[in-house]
Amino acid sequence: MWLYLGTGLAIFFLMVVIGIVLRAEQAGWIPLDQGWFYALLSLHGIGMITAIAIAGLGTLWYFVYREIALDARIAYIAYGFFAAGVICVVVSVIPGEYGALWTMLYPLPFVGTYWPSWATGVWLVGNILVMIGFVVWCMQVLAGLLARYGGLRGVLGIDYVFHNHEFAEQHREPPPPQMFAAAITAIDGIISSSLGMTYGVAMIVHWLDPSVAINPLWAKNLIYQFGHTFANLTIYIAVAGLYVGLALCTKRKYHTSIPLVIGWWGTLLFVILAYFHHLYMDFVQPQVLQYIGEISSYLAAVPVVVVTVFSGILLVHRSGLKWGLGAMFLYAGMMGWVAGGIAAVLDATIPVNFDLHNTLWVPGHFHTYLLEGVLLFIIGWLFVSLEQRSGALSPLIVRWLAGVGIFGGGALFLLSFYIAGAQGVPRRYAVEPAPGPQMANFATVGALILLTGLMVVAVEAFRLRRLPESAELG
Amino acid sequence: MTNRRIWAWAVLIATIVFALAPLYHSGDVSIPVHHFLHVVMLAGAALSALLFTAPVPLRQGKATWLVAAVVTPILAMFLMWPSEYALFERSPLLHAAQHLGLVGLGFITGYAGQRYAAGIGIVASLSLLLMGLLAIGGYGTSPPPQVLSPAAASVAQNQEPRPDVALGAAIFAQNCAACHGVQGQGGVGPSLIGEGTRKNFAQAVAWIKHPKPPMPELYPQTLNESDVRNVAAFVEALK
Repeated sequence: MWLYLGTGLAIFFLMVVIGIVLRAEQAGWIPLDQGWFYALLSLHGIGMITAIAIAGLGTLWYFVYREIALDARIAYIAYGFFAAGVICVVVSVIPGEYGALWTMLYPLPFVGTYWPSWATGVWLVGNILVMIGFVVWCMQVLAGLLARYGGLRGVLGIDYVFHNHEFAEQHREPPPPQMFAAAITAIDGIISSSLGMTYGVAMIVHWLDPSVAINPLWAKNLIYQFGHTFANLTIYIAVAGLYVGLALCTKRKYHTSIPLVIGWWGTLLFVILAYFHHLYMDFVQPQVLQYIGEISSYLAAVPVVVVTVFSGILLVHRSGLKWGLGAMFLYAGMMGWVAGGIAAVLDATIPVNFDLHNTLWVPGHFHTYLLEGVLLFIIGWLFVSLEQRSGALSPLIVRWLAGVGIFGGGALFLLSFYIAGAQGVPRRYAVEPAPGPQMANFATVGALILLTGLMVVAVEAFRLRRLPESAELG
Repeated sequence: MTNRRIWAWAVLIATIVFALAPLYHSGDVSIPVHHFLHVVMLAGAALSALLFTAPVPLRQGKATWLVAAVVTPILAMFLMWPSEYALFERSPLLHAAQHLGLVGLGFITGYAGQRYAAGIGIVASLSLLLMGLLAIGGYGTSPPPQVLSPAAASVAQNQEPRPDVALGAAIFAQNCAACHGVQGQGGVGPSLIGEGTRKNFAQAVAWIKHPKPPMPELYPQTLNESDVRNVAAFVEALK
């Protein structure tokens, strides 16, 4: 877990720095060649998602490992694929200057390029390697869960929901909530990676042999199905940290309930269909898929968010919880998840999507998800485990500094995206029309405050790690 | 021999006989149909592997089996390289060998997955079949009839790389649209709508390579041979 967590958070930290450089360029603070802007934007986008996924997958693997004996060597093999993929991506960007992002639309990244052809190939190979690492992780976890809970019926809690009385009479226990997060990640991860790998192979073949034509609509469907699902799954991966961490803080059990299981079923089915909201403006896409996209976007997120947040609040209520950094991050993460979710649901609503989807509103929503949701769940769990291990809470001043940095700086940073998006400032451009540059000023200041908060948190994590183990905990 | 093993052998032999079809049957099929036939081979091979390995115990096996189950579907997608189909039409032996390769990869996917853990062979096989079915949708598309003009068709028959209209559109937008308009409707330069009725594909290629002033000569400095052919295919398709 520490290898995944450490690597993921280290890359994440670097990507935050690159993100600040990008916003500072848009604000006119620093000059940056436009080719380099798009290259760094490509690195920032895929780097953030991969980094947070690696950190989250390490955490979730550990939670599964506590219940089921998993072979750690396979986790290292998956890590090897991730590492090789990351190296390829960095090589394609740093010397190669690849700049077409990871959700490029065919015939990108083959035409109008200012980078050498080899950079495109290395980028594509890097993407496939990351997908292979992810599928290895998913297959291992799914195999473990199937063996432990007696097949898919047990893993998905089907008997628990439909034959609840018999289930209770037999004194059987449903899987704990974090196992649902693991199962849904593994199943949906395998499905969407299958699409992503098909797309990746087709693109590599086209790179090697341009006479192999690719249907652009097909390509867009596949890359967004994989890309959106992979990005979306990061929150479901990380929420396991909430289930385990909040239960530890409150010394209460986070129970599996029937509404929670049904909420996870909704996520299982609909998270792989929600990506259609990226294609509302592709008028050749069959219309029925657009409606499926809208409904799925609601149903993938709303039930499980509502049940998880509601039960999380109940868990904390009158628990005598001590508000260490762990509890603070986990609790705030739920709020960030809700805020990012509302912005996402708005964007997934067809009439609103026409106005907002190509604007900075969308980066606003996924930055909220990542910074104030996924990241907080992961570092929240990290701090809970450090606090439990040392038996110590962080000093009040550290909690204030971390809170002001991450929530205050984060709010300023995120609001600048939303306001600029609502004003129609387009996304993915080095040079933005007004009020883009003005908002980028606020964003850069906010991001710098956020970075300061993250540095405080990092130093505090190392301090807690160095403390001796609590005598009480042994 | 148990019934299950008999079925496994029967499915595997039937799949191999089907895979050897190029040796005793020839016919020109489109890329999507070709992909579909490959999926049938993959399905047969994976199914026979699952039947062979059905009674494995519920335990996790070696990591190598898992990695093999994950990587083989990707190799199968590479083996379904669409532009090779034209080559295979002329070489039944090579074609049959490619089919046997697909059968082998399909078998390994199911077998390796199942050897890693019970149930994972099914998951890996389903992933493989999903990838194969997806390929039908757009991995190597056959140009629509209006694009495949007689001249372009003769080019295809001569086994030259098939021009890519989508790529041609993008190259056109970047290099030609300033004068001819994004849709070829004209502007500073003449309209290219219906150009396919005035020039055949070879003539369009020749014109783009060696135009008369004031049209600039972009070949070979800006556009290479492949770019020219792609742009010509796009222009031929303008209606």
